[in-house]
Amino acid sequence: MSLLRLVDLSTDIALRRGAVHALDHVNLEVRQGETLGVVGESGSGKTMTVLSVMGLLPPGGRVVNGQILFDGRDLLAMAPDELRRVRGVEMGMVFQDPLTSLNPTMRIGAQVAEPLRVHQGVSKAEARERAVEILRRVGMPRPDKIVDDYPHQLSGGMRQRAVIAMALIRSPRLLIADEPTTALDVTTQRQILELIDDLRDEFKMAVILVTHDLGVIASRADRVAVMYAGRVVETATTEELFRAPRHRYTEALMHALPEAAQGREGRLYSIPGLPPDLSQPLTGCRFAPRCRHATDACRATDVPLVRAAEDHLYACLHPVTEAVTFAPRGAGEARPAAASEPILSVRELVKEYDAGGKGRVSAVAGVSFEVKAGETLGIVGESGCGKSTVGRLVAGLEEPTGGQIVLDGTDIGALDRRARRRMHREVQLMFQDSYAAMNPRMRVDGILTEPLEIQQVGDPAGRRSRVTRLLDQVGLPTRALERYPHEFSGGQLQRIGLARSLALEPRLIVADEPVSALDVSIQAQVLNLMRDLQSELGLSYVFISHDLSVVDYMADRIAVMYLGKLVEIGPASQVVRAARHPYTQALIDAVPSPDPGHAPSPATAIRGELPSALNPPTGCRFRTRCPLAQDICRTEPPLEGGLHQVACHFPLREEAAAARP
Amino acid sequence: MARYLLTRLGQALVIVILVTLITFVILHFLPGGAARAILGKEATLEQIAAFNHDMGYDRPLWEQYALYLQRLVRGDLGYSFQLNQSVAEAITQRLPKTMVLSLASTALAVVIAIPLGVVQAVRRNKWPDYTINALSLLAYATPIFFLGLMMIILFAQVWPLLPPEAPQGFTLGEVLADPAGLVLPTVTLAVLTVAVYSRYVRSSMVDNLNENYVRTARSKGLSEGRVIVGHTLRNGLFPVITLLGMYLPALFSGALVVERLFNYPGMGLLFWQSALKRDYPILLGVTLLISVATVLGALVADVLYAAVDPRVRLKASRS
Ligand SMILES: Nc1ncnc2c1ncn2[C@@H]1O[C@H](COP(=O)(O)OP(=O)(O)O)[C@@H](O)[C@H]1O
Ligand code: SF4
Ligand code: SF4
Ligand SMILES: [Mg+2]
Repeated sequence: MSLLRLVDLSTDIALRRGAVHALDHVNLEVRQGETLGVVGESGSGKTMTVLSVMGLLPPGGRVVNGQILFDGRDLLAMAPDELRRVRGVEMGMVFQDPLTSLNPTMRIGAQVAEPLRVHQGVSKAEARERAVEILRRVGMPRPDKIVDDYPHQLSGGMRQRAVIAMALIRSPRLLIADEPTTALDVTTQRQILELIDDLRDEFKMAVILVTHDLGVIASRADRVAVMYAGRVVETATTEELFRAPRHRYTEALMHALPEAAQGREGRLYSIPGLPPDLSQPLTGCRFAPRCRHATDACRATDVPLVRAAEDHLYACLHPVTEAVTFAPRGAGEARPAAASEPILSVRELVKEYDAGGKGRVSAVAGVSFEVKAGETLGIVGESGCGKSTVGRLVAGLEEPTGGQIVLDGTDIGALDRRARRRMHREVQLMFQDSYAAMNPRMRVDGILTEPLEIQQVGDPAGRRSRVTRLLDQVGLPTRALERYPHEFSGGQLQRIGLARSLALEPRLIVADEPVSALDVSIQAQVLNLMRDLQSELGLSYVFISHDLSVVDYMADRIAVMYLGKLVEIGPASQVVRAARHPYTQALIDAVPSPDPGHAPSPATAIRGELPSALNPPTGCRFRTRCPLAQDICRTEPPLEGGLHQVACHFPLREEAAAARP
Repeated sequence: MARYLLTRLGQALVIVILVTLITFVILHFLPGGAARAILGKEATLEQIAAFNHDMGYDRPLWEQYALYLQRLVRGDLGYSFQLNQSVAEAITQRLPKTMVLSLASTALAVVIAIPLGVVQAVRRNKWPDYTINALSLLAYATPIFFLGLMMIILFAQVWPLLPPEAPQGFTLGEVLADPAGLVLPTVTLAVLTVAVYSRYVRSSMVDNLNENYVRTARSKGLSEGRVIVGHTLRNGLFPVITLLGMYLPALFSGALVVERLFNYPGMGLLFWQSALKRDYPILLGVTLLISVATVLGALVADVLYAAVDPRVRLKASRS
């Protein structure tokens, strides 16, 4: 029997003028002990669905139709007091952003135990005890100390554990997790998802797991609902959905994954356009404007859900019939490195920050690598490992504490200020959040002309035509010049960011998490564009990301960083498919695979958190978390090897023959 | 923390010195002059010159300023010939009375403004919000002098409930012995403060109610009252502490008008009378005191903020 059933649920959000029809006749069910995955692009209505269930809709939000049956009782017909009890006792919710979802001025213990105090009248002392107990259960280190801490003293992963503890302390029958790991590193993500899995079995809960990441769904959910523009367009068991998706939108989402690209030269499939505006009346299949298979019939008729199998519904007139496969990408065919002259060569780079009397933060500790002309070097690692610092040093935004940066044969450190500034025209940065890096009161033409003006390139007319050409290169219409940044979507902003970094005709672009904030479909558009421009203009990239599959798709070579050190570097296919460092292997295994048959091996899982870069571990910096650590690891392992180098006393494997020089 | 305090105190000192310098220069260039004010219309040019020479007013400006600072360091604020007492004495006599007025009106204002601001935030963009908003705008826009007059006319003349004049006692004790006389000045001064504070509380509460942690609190099935009192109120009131420090100058200019209107012998009235008589030593002394109080007020507010907000508290103790 189903624990929660949504029947024809429609939710509106009133705006100053009109309303957004966020949900349109949604039907879903979740059974006891089962995990339902809800997936879709941002804005598809995933969050509104779960907030409707919790009764936590934003101001103006209202359920306008349907029923929410929890254990057979309609929540919408309940008295407010009773509803609060159900919400506080039988349901628990984990939110997307662990950094802001805790009260900043209330101790962790008090927040976690609050439901007990309110709904069960538990005494203060007992509440504290129960809080410690549940914090221990969710894997919080030193729970008896953490209960008395404030949220800002905890890392993102630990805060998310606290929120989960808060949801679980009331032993709920339904746990709702809305993008619980989107803001976290892969290694932390894996720990949190495993925790939710374990707890589901232990507490016999039903779980709704909302995510935009198909990989997360594939490895964790029993059944999946795919949402698009406020509707459920397909539901099936996870295995069935990935084996035989029927809806064209589901198919497109799968094709847009970097893992789905065939070979190093393959282009990603990207879904053109954007989801529709839900405040306007819509007819026909809502995906039709972006669908490759759309016909007039799709646009004219309302497409109902039909049954493909016992537990498989979809709403598409021209469903997928061929099978989708995730063919493992051809290993080994490393692209010939274009020219052998490196455009950038970094030697023994060191960056330390003063930590105000408490010692020094070692952000980058002796990193060396080269980037050749026309090549993409990917840098991966957990947040805080020093990736972005390397990027900022290379782009000249900060001065290194030690080491050399050689750009195009010239040692930057040896130049005077002006020459250095001119030299840095060759290197430009592209950010994760282009919006934050733009002046919101400046129009796009101003934003793009600014670097030209600062470097005094050309006359006004020349600059104007250069800017128009730049926009054309990144695939935006000339109209965009007169608009302001807030008028653009995330993907368009990344295009503008790319255009700005191209303005001075650099030879190297340092892209710091350029697609991390984008949906897969939009991510594919930006990645394709970056690749096209690379071959067109002969650019080199330093591509920084925490997402291994994206780096694997983009990079010729990959460098893996851990706590300020380079631990492995080599050809992309080698590093991803024949990792030599235990940390690299752990990163790879932590990435949820969109292939449901692919179970992650527990042997390589790393536990705990990245240690502080203030007084990092001596010797191998990974040894505090490494499953293979021995006494000798107290001495620092050198970075050794041919093309595929590793810094480890016990590398997982020998260098593959193909990679030896 | 100690280092932070020291830097802040250093900054405060620089600001205070700057304020005295500016006041000094402005007073110097005002027309008329102390000599005429003191010696009267009949004084001959020779008498005036002699007076200026005695007082050092004929020396170059920077020299006069240096002399002033020198005395200041020794704790000598100067001497008022017109009051025939030292500036320090004049101020110590009146300061407690102004403090009583300011404290009472601020306390009254805070007690009224917090609930008003909270109600506005909780019922934002509904009629309670609009009504309170309109009233506080009205309070903002009404000149305090006019407001005080209305108070006197209404509550001392039309309905003679309260005395129209503040207590005239020479000492603080005498003033406090006549609390009825303090009511109208306190209320008049509080009205503007309520308007400022309630708007501040409202916007700070609205910001907090939109935070994600409020949604988390609601997800626990808490009642709306518990969400507001238990979660948002504390966070919402932190910024108000800073306002307490920043609001001092406005409070003093309010006191200036109110004291004059109700004839209350405090600092405001002293300043007013000294300005009419061009009693420079007093004007300089009061300005100095107000600037010191303002700078210290801001500092105390920041330290207080750090003491109550765990986020700031930790950062401060770490660095
Ligand atoms: N506070 C809000 N005010 C108005 N519209 C909103 C608000 N929050 C979400 N929406 C709209 O509701 C629709 C569904 O959003 P949401 O459920 O957040 O999607 P998802 O969680 O899948 O990203 C979108 O069109 C979005 O723009
Ligand atoms: S119904 Fe038509 S437009 Fe919609 S997804 Fe299917 S084929 Fe595409
Ligand atoms: S050197 Fe030792 S601790 Fe470091 S990664 Fe290798 S095995 Fe692990
Ligand atoms: Mg969402």
